[in-house]
Amino acid sequence: MTGRINRSLFRLFRKLETSAHPLNYLFWECTTRCNLSCLHCGSDCSKESGIPDMPLPDFLRATDTIQRNGLITVVLTGGEPLLRRDLEECGRQIRKRGMRWGIVSNGYLYNKERHNALLSAGMGALTISLDGLENSHNWLRNTAGSFERAAQAIALAASSARLNFDVVTCVNPHNIGELEEMYYFLLSVKVKAWRLFTIAPIGRAELNPELLLTDGKFSQLMDFIASKRELKQMDVKFSCESYTGPYETRVRDGYFFCRAGINIGSILADGSISACPNIDHSFVQGNIYRDNFFEVWQHGFTDFRDRQWARRGKCAGCNEFKDCLGNGLHLWHGDKKEVLVCRKGIAER
Amino acid sequence: MKNLILKILGSISLTSVLFVFQACYGTPQDMEQDNQFEGIVKSKASGNVIKGIKVSTNFEGRQSYTNENGEFSIFLPLADEYKLTFEDVDSTVNGAFTKYDTVITDVPGYVHLDILLQPK
Repeated sequence: MTGRINRSLFRLFRKLETSAHPLNYLFWECTTRCNLSCLHCGSDCSKESGIPDMPLPDFLRATDTIQRNGLITVVLTGGEPLLRRDLEECGRQIRKRGMRWGIVSNGYLYNKERHNALLSAGMGALTISLDGLENSHNWLRNTAGSFERAAQAIALAASSARLNFDVVTCVNPHNIGELEEMYYFLLSVKVKAWRLFTIAPIGRAELNPELLLTDGKFSQLMDFIASKRELKQMDVKFSCESYTGPYETRVRDGYFFCRAGINIGSILADGSISACPNIDHSFVQGNIYRDNFFEVWQHGFTDFRDRQWARRGKCAGCNEFKDCLGNGLHLWHGDKKEVLVCRKGIAER
Repeated sequence: MKNLILKILGSISLTSVLFVFQACYGTPQDMEQDNQFEGIVKSKASGNVIKGIKVSTNFEGRQSYTNENGEFSIFLPLADEYKLTFEDVDSTVNGAFTKYDTVITDVPGYVHLDILLQPK
């Protein structure tokens, strides 16, 4: 009974939040260059990108249009943001405008000197990827020695009381058997938060089905997360990537809510205005070199805020659509005739 | 009023944590408090700005350098007392100046400093 009331109230909350759509979270794809060549990369980044890094003044001109309604966290992503030599200056200018900032990194270049420089420039949030124990991580990251570098970066970041820091892991058939050992490794280096993902069949992973979890493996992952959450030793959670059917509220702090285009926007490397960077390019709403960013945010994004269009394919007659709304928007690609992943009813399958 | 209703609804439906959500492939949000120190370093004799002055602090490894306009900026975690040291570390390039220390207490979140260094 309480669960049904909570769910109804949540739907109302989601409706009002969607209507208000305050921008709280802004991705900046500040480079598409990357020092690794991960097998699962959703951005398909490479060492030599054809797209030049967006100059900082271009990004700031776009964000200067924002009429803020609360705090905004700017997340610099890529590619690998640590490849930008002006990263600290980018951060300082973002803070100067009253916004907060953080980076998502593979950790390979994150050393003590850079750690201090970034903190001094006002970085307040950091996410580092660790995709398994040594062999699994190096395999997925396609680079020998990348585990050691990431582990050093994680220990360094975890030592900072100031940073809002978490580790993320892309769970796949190669590393799912290592999660228990990873959990104790992360505890040993004093990591407080660990977020687990699955790999969506997009980007390079689209051509690599061995990276994807079966329903059985997905259930195993959900059970692992739920059991570790009960221990309360670390904030372990499933990412907001998708609806989890029977596991809702057991693997995360709340109900599934894809906030892309509702609270989350992005400015991509070529100036495109969108939401999460892994969302299909056909959802792009404008371009900062042509449009006023905040006007686009306020008046565009209709497909993000009204998901009724997603009632198609297996979602058409689904009785859980009102909770799932067609799953994470990054799971609609290409002709968008069918959602790429559906975890409804996994416990029964 | 709308924000208040949203917060109440979020709290009742056990989703208050979602006000501090994080995007799938993003970082956690940053809502922590810290203190920013920024300012300009000039020569006490000429009044000219000085580039390349090292600004070190009582937090290990946390430092900054003045730019071509003599400006510096550094964020530090909350503390009761901050010690900032301004030091000429580039020998006679940009001039030669005497080291200067300052201690700051009761920081309200942001401090602007105009520092004058004595030429050697």
